[in-house]
Amino acid sequence: MQSNRKTLLEARNLTKTFTTPEGKPFTVLEGIHLELQEGEIVALLGRSGSGKSTLLRCLSGLLRPSAGEVRYRGQPVQGPMPGMAMVFQSFALFPWLTVQQNVELGLEAMGIPAPQRRQKALEAIDLVGLDGFEKAFPKELSGGMRQRVGFARALVTQPEVLFMDEPMSALDVLTAETLRLELLNLWQSGRLPLKGILLVTHNIEEAVLLADRILVLSSNPGRIRAEIAVTLGHPREREDPAFQELVEEIYRILTTRPAPERATLEPLTLGHRLPQAPVGALTGLLERVAEGPDYGKEDLPRLAEEMHLEVDDLFPLLDAAELLGLAVLQAGDIQLTAEGQRFVKAGLEGRKRIFAERLLQQVPLVGHIHRVLHTRPTGRAPEERFLRELEDYMSTEDAEKVLATAIDWGRYAELFEYDYNTGLLSRSEEVASPAAG
Amino acid sequence: MRRVFPSPEVLRPRAPFSRWDLVVIPGVLVLLLLLTLALRGATAPYGPNTPDLTVSLNPAHLPYYGLRTLLRMLAALLLSLAFTLVYATIAAKVPRTERVLIPILDFLQSLPILGFLTATTAIFLGLFRGNLFGLEAASIFAIFTSQVWNMTFSFYASLRTVPRELQEAAAMLRLSPWQRFWKLEVPFGLPNLVWNAMMSVSGGWFFVVASEVISVVGRDQDQYLPGVGAYIALAIQQADAQAMLWAGLTLFLLVLLYDQLLFRPVVAWAEKFKFEQSESSDTAQSWVLTLLQRARLSQRIARLPQPLWEWLWLKSARGHRPGVALEPPPKPRLRTRLADLGFNLLIALGSLALVGGLLGYLLGPGLGFGNGQMLRPNPNLNTQLSPEIAQRFAALGIAPSADGSVWLSQLCAASRDGQALSSGLKALLETPGVWAPANLAAACQAPLAPAGKVAWPEVLEVFKLGFFTALRVTFFVLLVTLIWLPIGVYVGLRPRLTQWVQPLAQFGAAFPANLLFPLFVVAIAHFRLNPEIWVSPLMVLGGQWYILFNAIAGSAAIPNDLKEAARLYGLRGWNRWRRLILPAIFPAFVTGGITATGGSWNASIVAEVVQWGDTTLVATGLGAYIAHWSTGEFNPHVGLGMLVMGLWVLAYNRLIWRRLYQLAEERYRLD
Repeated sequence: MQSNRKTLLEARNLTKTFTTPEGKPFTVLEGIHLELQEGEIVALLGRSGSGKSTLLRCLSGLLRPSAGEVRYRGQPVQGPMPGMAMVFQSFALFPWLTVQQNVELGLEAMGIPAPQRRQKALEAIDLVGLDGFEKAFPKELSGGMRQRVGFARALVTQPEVLFMDEPMSALDVLTAETLRLELLNLWQSGRLPLKGILLVTHNIEEAVLLADRILVLSSNPGRIRAEIAVTLGHPREREDPAFQELVEEIYRILTTRPAPERATLEPLTLGHRLPQAPVGALTGLLERVAEGPDYGKEDLPRLAEEMHLEVDDLFPLLDAAELLGLAVLQAGDIQLTAEGQRFVKAGLEGRKRIFAERLLQQVPLVGHIHRVLHTRPTGRAPEERFLRELEDYMSTEDAEKVLATAIDWGRYAELFEYDYNTGLLSRSEEVASPAAG
Repeated sequence: MRRVFPSPEVLRPRAPFSRWDLVVIPGVLVLLLLLTLALRGATAPYGPNTPDLTVSLNPAHLPYYGLRTLLRMLAALLLSLAFTLVYATIAAKVPRTERVLIPILDFLQSLPILGFLTATTAIFLGLFRGNLFGLEAASIFAIFTSQVWNMTFSFYASLRTVPRELQEAAAMLRLSPWQRFWKLEVPFGLPNLVWNAMMSVSGGWFFVVASEVISVVGRDQDQYLPGVGAYIALAIQQADAQAMLWAGLTLFLLVLLYDQLLFRPVVAWAEKFKFEQSESSDTAQSWVLTLLQRARLSQRIARLPQPLWEWLWLKSARGHRPGVALEPPPKPRLRTRLADLGFNLLIALGSLALVGGLLGYLLGPGLGFGNGQMLRPNPNLNTQLSPEIAQRFAALGIAPSADGSVWLSQLCAASRDGQALSSGLKALLETPGVWAPANLAAACQAPLAPAGKVAWPEVLEVFKLGFFTALRVTFFVLLVTLIWLPIGVYVGLRPRLTQWVQPLAQFGAAFPANLLFPLFVVAIAHFRLNPEIWVSPLMVLGGQWYILFNAIAGSAAIPNDLKEAARLYGLRGWNRWRRLILPAIFPAFVTGGITATGGSWNASIVAEVVQWGDTTLVATGLGAYIAHWSTGEFNPHVGLGMLVMGLWVLAYNRLIWRRLYQLAEERYRLD
């Protein structure tokens, strides 16, 4: 790939594998090829668990790749290099340092003496618009101001590459929008020696607003699923049809299962990772889709915007709906199936019955629990028994999450009961004993 | 270019002093003066020809004694801080060391503090030959061991739980290890460290009282270091009630001073390091802290080390070198496994050597057999180690050892196995203060362990004594809980009451309970009560406050919506207790309980043997055993007692408290 621009950062065949505490390896990233050229903003988009944060950390030198390599201006990256800076999702400010001391931190590491540090720090604080707050402590500031301090701290070291790990996701919508625009202004003004920005986000609109290139990551393991070039000019408007088409395209990509998986639709195993979808949110989603003007069909971007759901909140619900056969996803839209329609129209009891039927048919784990409880004479089983079975497929932490989801669904459907204190699952035909005191 | 117009304040020349300095400057001068005074006293010459150290019961000397005691506490605190920063850092950062260092800490924490005093006196005296500082050092070291373990554990725990995002930020900014330690790790751990330090110091007053009277080998009398503790000890020995009152007043003032001038300012200052995202409404206030922050002189003093600090800072900076990743580079598995193996082998060998050496010293030949029979205990006949009795034995041909002990084996040898007791010996054996077996002939028939060594029957006996003490501790901690828990909850649920009761409880925890012991002695003797039962409450006298203020803190922290829901559903009386209050304060209770029982075990050494003038009350227990053998130099009996108490405390903690703590963390957390 020849270009006149120089390559700032590149990753070749980047693979990252972790070992669970039990000793099982699992791959978070696999075979990632990535380049960041001078003068561009690249966004990494994906659901939670797709490894985008891990990818960012491998690129910045915080983590070491298990295979493959990362190069910064041709040099291999063994740790964070001078010329790199990062802005964090939860700001990562040191609570016991004032704004000025926080900003000076990066300069201290570079060995710059006190008077110059002071001056540069004050300039950076002025740049982000926090003039007057030098002596304030982070706990006195609002979220938006704290992130500004984060930016000041990152920019004061005159980096060439700026990494941003979901920088706006902890902020309210208005502040986030303001900061985005200010960032774009700073970038385009050319006042900074900044040459490239790598942004990780799960907000599709943010990616389209800021980035010149968007890389969509798949999950488990993380691979680059698609690369989209954004050729819209600045300023970009959300209502612009080209903008909306791009957003729609991305939803389409995210909701379509990649080709190899679609070809071999194996039956689900016991260890299928259930989407973390609470029943209340799921029913809310289905009701909303049913109420829409299209009789049970809804456009995903519009749905996300109206329900104020980010990718990480929406997609588990979509997956759950699809898993249970209550809806199908196609071409960036969600459509209720006949079962789904019946579910929404039924009353509370009817819904539970339909849900129970769907669970037993579609979710092997719930069926398994139900069977076990019915074959045992006491009708009881400790949760550890099922956890151990799940640990054959995944780490303990994931097993606990999957079991918790299964229990949540099973309880709603009144297929079984669960006592938190003792950790016992029991048949639901029994008269519910009052909670053990 | 921005234009900045200076405000009038900036233009006015800064005065070198503010009005706050009016208080601070004299304060600093007074402190320096007191320090000089004390140091001069502490480094006076001391050799075999110096007269015995003693204190006077004249209350006019109490301010000076108070000063010396206070400075010992502070010296121990500084030592503890230094130890903590080094030990905890090594354990947390150097790989594999935690497997050794933390269990060592755990065990040392379980050992009784006063045992350390006996063990180390000789060492320090040898170190500072010819100078009084040797005795001071022994005393300071004993106080140090009462403060340090808590602090080390707390700092170690903080180092291991630094929030991930801050670690990442520090790594991205390429901070050097030195910079990271002082900008991230120490500030993060500071609130907990400070709290633990202050709590330790509060508990330490109890041990100060007990650690200022030191018995030195080669001298008949105990040496009384100038201090409030020694004053109290002398007053108890001479049954001087008025002196006790003066001492009580002094201690009260000392604890008050410490509370206002040290505890509260430091805790208030440490608030700024709390890792919280919003300002909490109830921040600790301290007038001393405000004073210091506003006085110019204290700011100047605080800035003095600045140039050195800055130089160290920049020297350690990475400059343009790349930073270090958060995870270590992958090492070849074979090498790691070999290193692990080697290290484990080293630990195993080291432990074996240590245990072997320990057992050899403690028990050695005493655990053997003679003539096919198990060796029997060889006790000391001169139970009080009284010099006159030792002299009388010497006059009758039995040479006592250096500290005045006369062994049964010696008596047997001198009287031909009990057959030929001279009349002088017979009379001596009947004097009070001399122990003699009921049937001397039979006792001398059995093979005796070598003088000073422990025999098997004694080991069992010591474990049994430990059991008795454990029974006492358990029973009385439970009793105290039954009393103070309801009161604590009552106070905790009423915020206005909490405001003034909690500082009182903290103050009560600091005030040493040993002062009240003589009252108990007098009462027990007067009413002829059974000391076995009635001496026991003394053990929990100091620890009970921890139960109280943890109960207050726990119930004050019950979320309002839970309380309102309970009220709405008509939850009253026992039901309310069972469903709402007890589960909610369970974690706080566990914390308070651990401290209370730990304190009781330590206190047993001074609480199972209590004295007032000529009246001495002894209860059967491990504390009494250790106290008995601690008069004099370090010997295998004290070692055995300490070891057994350490094992009992470890077992107690692991079997009871650790389980309860896990239960509290898993099921009863309010979040």
